[in-house]
Amino acid sequence: MSVIEISNLTKLYGNSRGISDVSFNVEEGEIFGFIGPNGAGKSTTIRTLLSLIYPTSGSAKIFGKDVVKYAPEIKRDIGYLPSEVFYYDNMKVIDLLKYSASFYKKDCTRRIKELSEILELDLNRKIEDLSLGNKKKVGIVQGLLHEPKLIILDEPTSGLDPLMQQKFFDLLEKENKKGVTILFSSHILSEVQRLCDRVAIIKEGKIVQVDRISTLKENNYKKFKIETKTEVDFRAFDVAGVNQIEIKANTISFIFRGNINSILKKISEIEIANLWIEEPTLEEIFMHFYKKEE
Amino acid sequence: MNIVIRELQATRKSLIIWCVGVLFMVFAGMGKYAGMTGTGQTINELMAEMPESLQAIMGSGGFDLTKAIGYYGLLFLYLAMMATIHAVMLGANIVSKEERDKTAEFLLVKPISRGKVITLKLTASLINLVTFNLVTLVSSIVMVQRYAQGEAVSGDIGLLMIGMFFLQLLFLVVGTAIAAIIKRPKRAASISTGVLLLTFILSIAINLNDKLGILKFITPFKYYEAEQILNEGLDPAYLTISIILITVLTAITYQSYKKKDLNI
Repeated sequence: MSVIEISNLTKLYGNSRGISDVSFNVEEGEIFGFIGPNGAGKSTTIRTLLSLIYPTSGSAKIFGKDVVKYAPEIKRDIGYLPSEVFYYDNMKVIDLLKYSASFYKKDCTRRIKELSEILELDLNRKIEDLSLGNKKKVGIVQGLLHEPKLIILDEPTSGLDPLMQQKFFDLLEKENKKGVTILFSSHILSEVQRLCDRVAIIKEGKIVQVDRISTLKENNYKKFKIETKTEVDFRAFDVAGVNQIEIKANTISFIFRGNINSILKKISEIEIANLWIEEPTLEEIFMHFYKKEE
Repeated sequence: MNIVIRELQATRKSLIIWCVGVLFMVFAGMGKYAGMTGTGQTINELMAEMPESLQAIMGSGGFDLTKAIGYYGLLFLYLAMMATIHAVMLGANIVSKEERDKTAEFLLVKPISRGKVITLKLTASLINLVTFNLVTLVSSIVMVQRYAQGEAVSGDIGLLMIGMFFLQLLFLVVGTAIAAIIKRPKRAASISTGVLLLTFILSIAINLNDKLGILKFITPFKYYEAEQILNEGLDPAYLTISIILITVLTAITYQSYKKKDLNI
């Protein structure tokens, strides 16, 4: 079952770009990565899902229900962590969390205690006195305290130190094992790569690709590095499938996608000193998507 | 209910300050009257000798300033001014602040409809307005009674306060409607107070120039003038217009807020 179904979602803001024709599904129980550089439309998509803004055209469903029409109902089971956390002044952490809990028809006291202990969050401090990282922790607890079935995270790790990030990821994985679906938006590839099952790549408001992380990596993308004995005319490698070619004196490196035999034949034509063929990181594949059209 | 409590906590401080302000206004204003009582008729003569335009600006037109209630009628304009500034800013802020302070990303992802949010915020605002009105009512009765030499004044003051309450309601929804419509939340309060000042200045301009008389329906300050309320009571026509305006502006608040793309 799809927890999130987005079909042809378009949001235009006057002159500036929003998102156009975004479509993808997030299945129940998966951790879905949503990746793209700043300003690509990640937050716009998420805010439309949460009906903080309304689509210009297209539609989205969560739990099979239209996000605009059934917004209050859907939100009972959504936990959201915005990229920047802003809270009311003059409130203690515990007051805010209780206020947050008061919107859900369940007792969240135990969960608040549990989560704040894991994250080492002091409940009696005033929110305005907290550091960025601690505010983020308040956001995390606030987003998870009602045990949502869908967690939406918009660049959640900014401000958290690596140790806290680890704890946070463990927490997410634990939730995920319970069957919780997670939409994880980020511009940091390594964290998406580590956590997510599938990923949608967004660029300039459009979805470039939706794929499994594993397929994306296995999809015949190979990273080649060749060391030659003599200087080589790099135009020899100007064939289909070769990307991001880089030449430094006697070494050539590039990302290749296509029939591995054809590139090996090319290589066999020249005298080589050394050869590395590696799995590219997601980062490198990602760069491929972004550079392609330049 | 949770939002009502939250809003009451958030507005508590400013409400206390406004109430202290209006108390000061009533006490100091009527205190001045105490200083004048000795002069007898001379104050009325003095006022009558003033240029009409000055009288219009002070709103002192047809009051018998030798009587405490007449003097209070003069003061009412300033009390109403305070009450409406409070109301319009409250209305504009209570709606726009979630966007302005970016807490919309907290509140509006909760399982609650935008309509309900507005209802609860309006409820909290009403409690604020009623408190302000009651503080003014009670302090006015106490102070005017003190100088009224046995005359019954609470009926008149009650009527004036009903008028002031309509003014408060009107400007509250002026504020909420503007906050719900405009795209830039930071400007809600300034635009709303701008509208308030404009209608206030217009009401004075009408007093100054008879030719503008036709415009009196545009400015709520003309609906509830102390002189008219004290002499003739509340005008049903103006009450009807007020109720229609309040209803329309409330509807605009709900509709615009529901359809709005939140600016965060």
